[in-house]
Amino acid sequence: MKKIILALIVLIGVSTSCTKNFEDFNKDKKHPTEVPGEFLVANAQRAIADQVASTNVNLNVWKLFAQYWTETTYTDEANYDIVTRTIADYTFRAYYRNILADLKDATNVITAEKPVGDAGAIAKENKLLIIELLNVYCYNRLVDAFGDIPYSEALDIENIHPVYDNATGIYDDLIMKATNAVAGLNAAGGSFGGSDLYFAGDVAMWKKFGNSLIVKMGITLADVSEGKAKAAVEGAYAGAFEMGELCQLVYLGGSNSNPLYQDMIQSGRDDFVPANTVVDLMNNLEDPRRPAYFTLYEGEYVGGVYGESSTFSQYSHVAPEIQEQTYPVTLIDYTEIAFYLAEAAQRGYAVGGSATEYYDKAIMSSFSQWGVEGAADYIAAQPYDAANWKQSLGTQAYIAFYVRGFIGYTSWRRLDYPAMNPAPAPPPGAGGTVPMRFTYPINEQTLNGINYTAAAAAIGGDELKTKIFWDKN
Amino acid sequence: MRKFTLLLALMLFIGMQVTQAQTRTITGTVTNADDGSTIPGVSVVVKGTTYGTTTDLDGKYSLSIPEDASSLIYSFVGMKTAEMGIGGGNVYNVVMEPEATSIEGVVVTALGISREKKSLGYSTQEIGGDDLNTVKGSSFINNLQGKASGVQVKSSGNMGGSTNIIIRGSNSITGNNQAMFVVDGVPINNDRTNNTGQVSGRAGYDYGSAASDIDPNNIESINVLKGAAATALYGSRAANGVVLITTKKGKKSVGGAKILGVTINSSVTTGFVDKTTFPKYQTNYGAGYGPYYSDGDYPGLEHIYDVNGDGEIDYTVPTTEDASMGQEFDPNLMVFQWDSYDPDNPNYHKATPWVNTPNEPVEFFETPWSYTNNIDIMGGGEKSTFRLSYTNLDQTGIMPNSSLKKNNVLLNGSYDILDNLKVTASANYINTNGKGRNPTGYSDNLLSSFRQWWQTNVDVLQQKDIYDQTGRNVTWNPKSPTNLDPIYWDNPYWARYENYQTDTRSRFLGYAQADWQITDNLSLMGRYSIDTYSELQEERKAVGSVSGELGVGRPDVTSGYTRFDRSFTETNIDFLAKYNKYLGENFNLNALIGTNIRRSTEDQVFASTDGGLIVPGVYALSNSINQMQAPEERYAQIGVNGYFAGVTVGYKNLVYLDGSFRYDQMSTLPPDDWGYPYGAVSGSFVFSSLMEDQSWLQLGKLRLGWATVGNGAPWGSTHDTYSLTGNWGGTALFSLPNNKNNQQLKAERTNSLEAGLEMVFLQNRLGFDFSYYDNQTVDQIIPVAVSYATGYSGKYVNAGTVDNKGLEITLRGTPVVSSDFRWDIILNWARNRNEVVELQEGLENLQLASLQGGVTINARVGEPLGTIQGTDYVYDAYNEDGDPADGANRVVGSDGYYLKSSTSDIILGDINPDWTGGINNAFTYKDWSLSFLIDWQKGGSIFSLDQWYGMATGLYTETDYTNDLGNPVRSPVSDGGGLVLGGVVNTGTEEAPVYETNTTRVEGGNYRVFGYSKNPNKTFVFDASYVKLRELVVSYSIPKAKLSKVWLQGATFSLVGGNLWIISKNLPHADPEASQGAGNVQGWQSGVMPAVRNVGFSVKLQF
Repeated sequence: MKKIILALIVLIGVSTSCTKNFEDFNKDKKHPTEVPGEFLVANAQRAIADQVASTNVNLNVWKLFAQYWTETTYTDEANYDIVTRTIADYTFRAYYRNILADLKDATNVITAEKPVGDAGAIAKENKLLIIELLNVYCYNRLVDAFGDIPYSEALDIENIHPVYDNATGIYDDLIMKATNAVAGLNAAGGSFGGSDLYFAGDVAMWKKFGNSLIVKMGITLADVSEGKAKAAVEGAYAGAFEMGELCQLVYLGGSNSNPLYQDMIQSGRDDFVPANTVVDLMNNLEDPRRPAYFTLYEGEYVGGVYGESSTFSQYSHVAPEIQEQTYPVTLIDYTEIAFYLAEAAQRGYAVGGSATEYYDKAIMSSFSQWGVEGAADYIAAQPYDAANWKQSLGTQAYIAFYVRGFIGYTSWRRLDYPAMNPAPAPPPGAGGTVPMRFTYPINEQTLNGINYTAAAAAIGGDELKTKIFWDKN
Repeated sequence: MRKFTLLLALMLFIGMQVTQAQTRTITGTVTNADDGSTIPGVSVVVKGTTYGTTTDLDGKYSLSIPEDASSLIYSFVGMKTAEMGIGGGNVYNVVMEPEATSIEGVVVTALGISREKKSLGYSTQEIGGDDLNTVKGSSFINNLQGKASGVQVKSSGNMGGSTNIIIRGSNSITGNNQAMFVVDGVPINNDRTNNTGQVSGRAGYDYGSAASDIDPNNIESINVLKGAAATALYGSRAANGVVLITTKKGKKSVGGAKILGVTINSSVTTGFVDKTTFPKYQTNYGAGYGPYYSDGDYPGLEHIYDVNGDGEIDYTVPTTEDASMGQEFDPNLMVFQWDSYDPDNPNYHKATPWVNTPNEPVEFFETPWSYTNNIDIMGGGEKSTFRLSYTNLDQTGIMPNSSLKKNNVLLNGSYDILDNLKVTASANYINTNGKGRNPTGYSDNLLSSFRQWWQTNVDVLQQKDIYDQTGRNVTWNPKSPTNLDPIYWDNPYWARYENYQTDTRSRFLGYAQADWQITDNLSLMGRYSIDTYSELQEERKAVGSVSGELGVGRPDVTSGYTRFDRSFTETNIDFLAKYNKYLGENFNLNALIGTNIRRSTEDQVFASTDGGLIVPGVYALSNSINQMQAPEERYAQIGVNGYFAGVTVGYKNLVYLDGSFRYDQMSTLPPDDWGYPYGAVSGSFVFSSLMEDQSWLQLGKLRLGWATVGNGAPWGSTHDTYSLTGNWGGTALFSLPNNKNNQQLKAERTNSLEAGLEMVFLQNRLGFDFSYYDNQTVDQIIPVAVSYATGYSGKYVNAGTVDNKGLEITLRGTPVVSSDFRWDIILNWARNRNEVVELQEGLENLQLASLQGGVTINARVGEPLGTIQGTDYVYDAYNEDGDPADGANRVVGSDGYYLKSSTSDIILGDINPDWTGGINNAFTYKDWSLSFLIDWQKGGSIFSLDQWYGMATGLYTETDYTNDLGNPVRSPVSDGGGLVLGGVVNTGTEEAPVYETNTTRVEGGNYRVFGYSKNPNKTFVFDASYVKLRELVVSYSIPKAKLSKVWLQGATFSLVGGNLWIISKNLPHADPEASQGAGNVQGWQSGVMPAVRNVGFSVKLQF
């Protein structure tokens, strides 16, 4: 019996090595549990820029939908197949997961910080409002792509079934938030400083960014809510970007290269050529920006027939400057604003100038940005046509927005110009034309089914052909 | 196993010498029924107890037995267990009969405890070491296929690749479902280090299963512990079942004679590709996606370039097009092909006839060779044993420039310090070197080129010639006649010889153990064991290659280098006290109490060049065009403290009851909840003990067991951390994790119920073992996928229940036995029904993987774990469940192509087989033996991405046939070609459909109709059933009589065939077993390897 007791004592003795290190074992020693909010915001800024710039067929197919480019051999995305590669899922992930979640976390981190002195308090407030503007930018893109989206209940991990909010209501809220942010930003104060990748902490520029966003959202509502549109545009235009101003990210090169470089040069693939839609249009207008947009093929600008197989070597290519590592991506610029203000003036809003004046400024701005001479001659040859203002603005905006696929595609959806080419093999849900939106992610059907179904019904069916609420024509 | 029994028996015997008051001594000799020779080392145990001994060199034994002992059991590996009733006499001589596999006897169970098999209340199945050492490959795990019921083994087909081993179905939705491996009581790490991209079908390599380091030459026997009751004592990791391996050991000498045995085992194996598992190509059409490249007579050819400068525009092959939907072959048509453009090519600027190649991609494969050499020295003195074994494996694969080399050295020994104190130690060093493993997955994988993206006009051996000649990447797939850079695919030989990977793993497995027999009733065991290895995996992409995913963040790059350094160490400290006691006449008590202290550390770094290599040919991190991205690091420590106790009570030889209890503390759980108890109860009722007068019945046993096993969380799932996504100048970029971690996790749990019936009849000529089980894993710790709108892609929760119910039957028979001839049959059969009972509330589906082609692998409530989901056809009638009604027709759109379902979440199949089985027949005639194993799988589904794309690209024979009008289907519809898809078309409205038979003829001469473009995923979901002739072994042993004059003790020569014949399968062009590797993501094939038929010759010499 003594021996049994002895043996048991040995066992117990060994066992008391116990659990004292256990908490330490489960700690991740290679990753921080706390980081400054600045780093999260900077990450979100790069993620926004990457997503907007990309032409990766899994992430961003808007340059195809806008018919700026078409695909050479594998033409599925040019034929609007977004299901096979679950592109909508990647889009949700890019915005909600990779951008908005980090922005929300940054808000929490910065809110919890104790500012030092008045300057610190102002800077803190400015930071939070800049984050708000970035949120508005992202949600605006999501609504314009999908229609109703998760918004009021989004970004809450405790609620894994967020409802989809009505897109009209989201637009109202976004305009309100942007308006409040612009009002609250203190241009004399500091903000993120050097870790702000867009404006290096220049709060005055962020105010202009905010106002520009309001102009953009406002004009988008013009066909559905004249009053809201007018109020928003008139209230913000004076504080928006002026000639030469814009929000862009200039890539550094190397591992911080423009995704277009990664997709088109580093990948070694020859997947894209300019589409005949934009090339033919610019050929007809003898547009002087063509050399900045495309290369020559046998002395001419030749675009691939949209959606058909196009042998890479038989067509013009995307201009090499656009494929450089450091090529900047534009998020919003004066060219865009000037076109919106031209439309606003045409619609009779008080925006401090006439439609013709803004039309001319928009084209001048575009030429200047692309480094092309001859804007005045071009304007003389393509004067603003108030009688056919949608065609006039739509065509020129479309050309000016080249490479900015989503903006060009949205401009086409709003103004219905220029004429797009039919894709040879569109899916049935596209309604025989260029899609009007993205269908919702497949993930949402399986993970958020009830809310998905409700949203699909609310927007008139989760189809490519369903129009976004502001798209009335 | 025999030696283990011997040691155990000796230990007990030593203890018993102290008290012999109530015992008497009997003696006897054990002889072999075959030749009358005596058998040394036979275990002799008093029935229903652990009192026992072993026979000495002369086959004699002497044993003290309790006065009330009724019979003795004699067991020896390779012999039928014999039983002898004991009367009043003192001498009992026994004759034992040989047999292939023992039916009853002593087995090693959890924690290395030997138990009489019939006392077990749960199912185990033994496999002899020799049965696992037939086909010499890189992993013995593959040789378990078909040899145990309920054990589903699926080898990936990759060289040195991983093997999926699932016992009684998958329990865990997102966690590990692989069986645990234990060698001599020491857990063996079986991690797979394939990266997450590779696992979900992206580019990568299959680096194999770490447990394949175990050398089959060292295996004495394997015992598969299938249910939770069998494994409760091993702790959480055993919930998936345990493969318990007992190694060979030295033998003690008895009576002063030294024992020394030397065995040499050599084998050479070669093989050839099973062509039924490789594409059968159409032979009438060449490169292209359709008639798109020029106007005129040859629309499948380009007519743009003047290649040879004669001023005439030439017909050229569209070399950018990795498809064979192009121009019809015509030997009179001279065209410029890829080989016309490189000045080093003999056909430079020459046109060649437009014909199908004589050298299809199957010519690319080389003859594999595998050499295995083993030397085994064992022996012992009166107080000691030792065994030294060395094995060298040198293998080349079917892919050019592929090899696998292994060295395995094992030394173990034991020494009796005192009569009742023994120490044992074992040291095993294993070194594995792989080179040129085959890539897996969708992109950057040569096999996916051969199966999905290829031109039937390309002569693969011509690609070899030009690579050998130039050392450059002269590909069949250049960008244009004037730009010879590869567009999608490298020259296959360039890919093999320049872009190869290498890997190395050095591993040490060892333990030191002391066994102390304190009294005759009480013993104590203490053991320290370690499993530690470091490995390095290096991947290369040479400057000038096609881009592919490589390196940190998986960007597409055209050159680069990655290295993955990983080390793993696990230590276990075990203490175990055992207590045996006879309680009066009929009761026997065994009790044990113990503790296990486990610590493991995993330390890994993954680093790569960024943006490509600066200097070609230098594979170093410093040779990076861009500054390196931050390496990915992981340092994970896990601690588990386990405390356990068990008790077994036996009543006569009739009833045995087992109970065990364990309490674990695991560091991966939150501090408040890191302890969790679990346990098992089982019993067996040996009803044949009541029928001893029935001579036809040797054993009849009913068993019943219940167990619950807890399990902790994956490391690092309780606290959130940020990850660095890069640096922007001086600003660090940080992002939240994809998965939200959870500080409220608690242990998950597997509950298991098992019942079984074992019977042996007709003097052991016939027997069966039947089991029924019901396992339910509840409160699973899973990162449930959540809507991205939450800001995360997943969230760790305790949720989800998976149920596995199944039947297993093992049938053994000896239809014929005579003095010269013997025929044994073993049949294993099992069916498992798996169901996801619930996920988190409100969640109906959890996506396990999203794969190329748009299919997903899922856990869906009410369905088996692992549904394959994607798009289906649209049908003209559905039943109330939303499934196509009986006799429903596919609906064709107005364009003549099938309509596809608008959603991608339609269940198209599931990855689980309906049932699996194997039947082994063994014949021995005098000195000859023949055995063959046929195994089969019924059911299970597989999505073939190979055909999804390969049918579109027109590679396969199914895309080239004569249509209903008697014309080639690829001819233009205007010429009577094309096809009319079977189905109906809606001529009414959406609301009021009117279905009429489709009559629209569509083109068969482009990439649309046959493949991915115009068909739903459903078209390419196949039945994964197969029947295979898995093994065929013919052996000849030189009779001992003839050897007596030489110094040989034994000599055996064997011819071994592995995977010789796929007798039946329903998946064309591929092996239904082939995959990208082991793990939960199965049922999807892309660029898989063809099956290889192996033929080998082995020599075994014993000195």
